[in-house]
Amino acid sequence: MLQSDETLAHLTRISQKPGVQSTLILSRENGAIVRTSGLISNSTSANPNSTLPASNDTAPDNYANGKKEQSAEDVASKVWSFLTAAGSLVDGLYEEDEVKLLRLRTKKNELVIIPDTKFILVLVHDTPPA
Amino acid sequence: MDSIAQRREEILAKKAKLAELKKQRELRRAEGSNRQSLSGSPAREILSPTPRRNDVEQRRDLDKYLDDILGDSRPSSVQPGSPAGGRATRPTSVISASQLSSDNEAQAGAGTHYQIPTSMVDQGIQTLSIGNLTTVYESEGVDVGPPPKRDTEVVTYSKGVQADIDWSPRKTRGSGESDSERDESPTRSPRTPKRMSRRQKERDEEIRLQLKKEIEEEIKAAQKAVDAGEVQKVSGENYPFKTLSNEELTAVENSNDFIDFVERSTKVLERALDQQLDYDILADYALGGASIDEEDEGYGSSGGKKGRRIREIAQFWDERWSKKRMISDLGFSTKFPELVLASYTKNPSAPHDPDGLIQVWNLHMHDRPEYIFHAQSDILTAKFSPFHPNLIIGGAYSGQVLLWDTRAKSSPVQKTPLTGSGHTHPVYSIDIVGTQNANNIISASTDGVVCGWTVDMLSQPQEFLELTSPPPAKTDDMAVTCIAFPQSDPTYFLAGTEEGSIYPCHRYDRAGAKAGVDGRVKYGGHAAPVMSLDFHPAKGQIDLGDLVLSSSVDWSVRLWKVRPPAATGPSNTSAPGAAQHVTSILDIAREDLVYDARWSPVKPSVFGLVDGAGSLEVWDLNVDVEIPVQKVTPSENKRGALSGGMGSMKRSLNKLSWEKNEGRRVAVAGMDGVVTVFEVGSDLGGVETKGEEWSGVKRLVGRLEGASEGVNGK
Repeated sequence: MLQSDETLAHLTRISQKPGVQSTLILSRENGAIVRTSGLISNSTSANPNSTLPASNDTAPDNYANGKKEQSAEDVASKVWSFLTAAGSLVDGLYEEDEVKLLRLRTKKNELVIIPDTKFILVLVHDTPPA
Repeated sequence: MDSIAQRREEILAKKAKLAELKKQRELRRAEGSNRQSLSGSPAREILSPTPRRNDVEQRRDLDKYLDDILGDSRPSSVQPGSPAGGRATRPTSVISASQLSSDNEAQAGAGTHYQIPTSMVDQGIQTLSIGNLTTVYESEGVDVGPPPKRDTEVVTYSKGVQADIDWSPRKTRGSGESDSERDESPTRSPRTPKRMSRRQKERDEEIRLQLKKEIEEEIKAAQKAVDAGEVQKVSGENYPFKTLSNEELTAVENSNDFIDFVERSTKVLERALDQQLDYDILADYALGGASIDEEDEGYGSSGGKKGRRIREIAQFWDERWSKKRMISDLGFSTKFPELVLASYTKNPSAPHDPDGLIQVWNLHMHDRPEYIFHAQSDILTAKFSPFHPNLIIGGAYSGQVLLWDTRAKSSPVQKTPLTGSGHTHPVYSIDIVGTQNANNIISASTDGVVCGWTVDMLSQPQEFLELTSPPPAKTDDMAVTCIAFPQSDPTYFLAGTEEGSIYPCHRYDRAGAKAGVDGRVKYGGHAAPVMSLDFHPAKGQIDLGDLVLSSSVDWSVRLWKVRPPAATGPSNTSAPGAAQHVTSILDIAREDLVYDARWSPVKPSVFGLVDGAGSLEVWDLNVDVEIPVQKVTPSENKRGALSGGMGSMKRSLNKLSWEKNEGRRVAVAGMDGVVTVFEVGSDLGGVETKGEEWSGVKRLVGRLEGASEGVNGK
């Protein structure tokens, strides 16, 4: 139990770092959403226990910027297909290799995706002002 | 599934078309053979005595054509003849292949039949490949594999089919089945294709091209369909995403997989985020450009000549673990210069937490330690093994010597027993001496016991040495606070004591001196416990390895020139028992307790010290021997600095450590549990040193020595 608390603490701390908009953990086996923060869920059956508090300073900003909170399912499926594409790219280019880290920079955000054997961790944060 | 069925239909339609084309061609061929038989020579046209003009011409053309082709590539010349065998049976064979052979088989077939085409020059490679293409693409459709590249696919394909379907049946069936073409083929010489009329060939070529085109189109379409199907399938599987129930959630979150994953991935994330703060690789210098040089002269940094600046680059403090603990030791990793370890004493307000703690901090990860290690008792000293980057050794208040491994969990992988032959008093000093292949851990406890251990076995000391005060002292007891080994000699070391003297000691018996304290020489001068001893890290042109820096709580730092152990041999002893009293060559008085003083690993004249007032001072002996070059105080950004509640005590700095490889960074830490890392300017750190720096120190030492001897003489 203590270990799991610590694990949660790590996640919470990351999700509350300044600039971090949302985090998401997916199970690789069945695509289930294990943890989210900073995302809303559009499915009514979503488990509220899987949501962690997001960083406080960015939440109001999001609305001010006109950014809408994204739904976890949406992000999850998009990330999933992105990851699949990246995986097939790597498979095609290098045999016996695998994707370890994806960082995707956009004008406003950066997505950091860490695929592992069993889980996938996704983090969305603001790009530092240029 | 719809799409697959649809595709299959399309394929069947294509096959039908193909069959039709083949039929046409066969008809044409039948015509041709009729003509041939009419000409009178069924076997060999070449032998026919009166070839029709047409035939002669044809043959000439043919020969030319053949030559061209033979010079070019064999398979294409071979093609026209062989299709005969393959074509008629194709539709059935394809169906059987798709029905009987699973994807795996087809793939395996492709693998095993690779060599066959080379041995069967006669087989119609191209035609066969066409038929097979459909099979492959079918298997692809079922597979969720990556979309195949068209080029490679065609190749694989043709090989697989040919071997699989055509070759073996033909052998077995041989003459049994009567297909007009097939009957003919056995009797034909390998050069059959030569006989084909040019026109026919051209037509064949045309048809083939057409077919190829069609098939390519078909493949493209099929691939598109496959892609679409794949996407559909994937999103169908994972969207909407499954929602976990509470039980499942806890199950997942308590699984070791999950915990390990979070441990690993969050570290990566933190590094990624911190790295971003340091430098944005997408920076566009054409934009903005209003950012001012951040070399501010504020708190935590210092002004002065540029090369002598000191800049604070990181502070490490962890809410959970660093709170209410004091830092007892610091050390940089030699293998990974960004890692710095800090050992901590116990947190008196958290009796359930382990007393001893080591946190390994990463300069690229500011908010969280890379590793955390525990021990049952307060850890008083710790360092990375210079010979094995994964190992960390430490000494505990309980007298234990502990060994941690960064590949293992947080508890020590090895430790000495609490009872028995080791230390029974706190171990304040520990070192690893020797070489890469033969090294020992040397530990010293406050009761004067010095033990040598091998890294592989901590159950029993390899060496046991009890240091005792030499005769003039009132008691035998010697309270050792610190030991230091010279770079050059792992059998000899200095021990600093609580009464303030420093004694040379031998690990082993040697000529004229027994193992233990060498009573004939005593380095006296400090009036209070010696807190640190540091031999000069001699790595330059001039050997300065006999210079030792000592710090003491008598508010001073002293510089010593140590007698080489050989010179303390029997010839040197004038009166046994009368210890030779050696004084320091330089005594630097400070304004507070000096807890630690360390040479820079690269600059011969530079050292750093930390004091009870909480400042880090960097000295350059070549510049000044009375005032430091730089003096800075760690900033108080981290919460730890304010939560102490111990008045001025909380700011005291206990330990100092230089980064060993480049000497650009120096870490300091103390009572408040905050580790602060500074970066020093190019005059105080960095690998390039000038020769005059070394000779400058040499000259200075000579001068100081002369002066102190003069004083002694009087």
